[in-house]
Amino acid sequence: MLERGIEEKTYVLNLGPQHPSTHGVLRVELEMEGEFITKADPDIGYGHRGHEHMAENRTYPQFLPNMGRVDYLHALAYNQGYCMAVEKLIGLEVPERGEFVRVITAELNRITSHLLWVGAYLLDLGAFTPFLYCFDDRENALDLLDYLTGSRLTYCFYRFGGVPVDIDDDFTEGCRKFIQRLRSRWVDYDNLVTKNVIFIHRTRDVGLITQEQCIRYGLTGPMVRGSGLPFDIRRSEPYSVYPRFDFEIPIGERGDVMDRYLVRLREMEQSLRIIEQALDKIPNGPIMAEKVPKRIKPAAGEVYMAVESARGEFGCYIVSEGNPKPYRIKLRVPSFGNLSILPEIAVDTLVADLVAILGSIDVVVPEIDR
Amino acid sequence: MLRDNIHKALAPLNLEQVESGDYAKTGYHLEITAAPEQIPEVAKTMLSLGCFLESLTGLHYPEHFTLVYHFNNFGELCRTAVHVKVPLDQEAPTISHIYPGANWYEREAYDLYGVRFTDHPDLRRILLPFEADFHPLLKKFEASSADA
Amino acid sequence: METKTGAPLVHIGLVEEALNLARANSLWPLTFGLACCAIEMMAAGAARFDLDRFGAGVFRPSPRQCDLMIVAGTISKKMGPALVRLWEQMPAPKWVIAMGNCAISGGPFYYPDQYAIVPGADLLIPVDVYVPGCPPRPEGLIEGILQLEEKITQRGRLRKFRDVTG
Repeated sequence: MLERGIEEKTYVLNLGPQHPSTHGVLRVELEMEGEFITKADPDIGYGHRGHEHMAENRTYPQFLPNMGRVDYLHALAYNQGYCMAVEKLIGLEVPERGEFVRVITAELNRITSHLLWVGAYLLDLGAFTPFLYCFDDRENALDLLDYLTGSRLTYCFYRFGGVPVDIDDDFTEGCRKFIQRLRSRWVDYDNLVTKNVIFIHRTRDVGLITQEQCIRYGLTGPMVRGSGLPFDIRRSEPYSVYPRFDFEIPIGERGDVMDRYLVRLREMEQSLRIIEQALDKIPNGPIMAEKVPKRIKPAAGEVYMAVESARGEFGCYIVSEGNPKPYRIKLRVPSFGNLSILPEIAVDTLVADLVAILGSIDVVVPEIDR
Repeated sequence: MLRDNIHKALAPLNLEQVESGDYAKTGYHLEITAAPEQIPEVAKTMLSLGCFLESLTGLHYPEHFTLVYHFNNFGELCRTAVHVKVPLDQEAPTISHIYPGANWYEREAYDLYGVRFTDHPDLRRILLPFEADFHPLLKKFEASSADA
Repeated sequence: METKTGAPLVHIGLVEEALNLARANSLWPLTFGLACCAIEMMAAGAARFDLDRFGAGVFRPSPRQCDLMIVAGTISKKMGPALVRLWEQMPAPKWVIAMGNCAISGGPFYYPDQYAIVPGADLLIPVDVYVPGCPPRPEGLIEGILQLEEKITQRGRLRKFRDVTG
């Protein structure tokens, strides 16, 4: 027991910016009482590269490669959001086959992003084997995307008006083989991870997020779906050709870390379903719009385009004044809102739980810092 | 319809402009213009209807800053854009006591533009180093003298 | 006993060569992924492009236990002091690989008016090997590590089995 002469004080511990479990350069200032956290204050900005400043100094096509680097794990969703926003501004319509190619590649990219999340998250929790399993599956998907686009990570594949390269029979066959193989792996993941006693103990009833908190903090993506709200932009604000596909939106019940993990695992299966249906239904035709203006000079106005990325809602807000360079591009990134709930749910948890919670938010720090 | 509910709920606030947006062109269902003092009331109304704050953007014009708030709803899609003009030397009221998620968005607007928010619990820089002395997204207008 | 420059008084060539061979074949990198290149570094350590077969697969989070720092990603101005501090905390002998265009020269984020990044890791710390790419493929990083091994041992790899000419 504590006697006189011993003062109980809190002390400040620094988590990051260089830390194996912060998924990028994030610093969390922890005020702790023993092992329990009394206050957690994230400090972002260590990855600030000035994307929005670059946007004001670049023309619309020159800014396109930046979008692959904002969130490099689901770069094609950001490409898609930006291209669709500009196409809305200038009134350009993408042909159907182009939209199908966009959907197939974006869903493949979503699978690679979720696979990397599962691997890296379990590495944080201390398990090394799932990391190798996930990266192996991921390499198969990256082979397909590399064959088509030329890049493995920071894609700049979509153009205003469509896509530049068409998919061929090799790609289609490779996709089908990949779908078959990944489906056979779900059993392995279940046995290795989902039914693992240590994993269950570390993730059940940890980091609970209520639906009311989702509204107050503006959370989107698997965070919201893990708490029971079936909010997915592909379903509630459909864009591209998503209305033609039949897929479910997996939701959780309690809003804890385990639910968010299950939501992401099941989302991968739904993405496989979308790719299968897209490969079956893809029409023949052109992949680029016919009349793409040589100089992209939209009329004055603004547009807000939302797409569903692996982390949540990516919103591209463009304000144009009629010049070839945009007046302002705001990238509404999902991790920014998702991370802002950390100070509230980290109170009265252990440091080990904080690592589990932080990983389940699925932050990509360069996208927060832009 | 959520859009009509929002219309009705915002009617007593006497906002400058509340009209339907052209979704196909801009992505908004409702476009609102308001004065800076009215922002907390608008935010309270949107929260009572279950909308969440999607994004907060700053824009720099020669005579004023424009803050654009985007609201959306999990259940029924209705994107509301609220444009607020804040004169260059004035402060804007904070909504972080209504929407805690706005805390970081307002810090970002302060960091990039220098817009101050009254009664913000913790207004300090969020993206740039704490000791930075400039606001990067301020534009250089030839006529005005308020530059970065 | 040490001379004023800190080097040992007596060099025994054979021991130095053996030590260098040991150091080159067991480089322990620091987990210092900053941005996109970090993912390719992780992929280089994963199953397909195994870094462990070169002895360099033991990524340590603490700088006190490492001798190789792979700067993978853009260095923002806020991160600069942290980078220097980590480098200073690594015990000698230590080496640095600048991976990716951002660590070499600022990459796609360098333009005349920029305010946010430090254009290149060699403005802060001495760099031994530069691996270009945005991001470089994991094979590129492996080639960088092999070049570093050559630099440490001052010997080439078995030349007759190399595919490249020269």
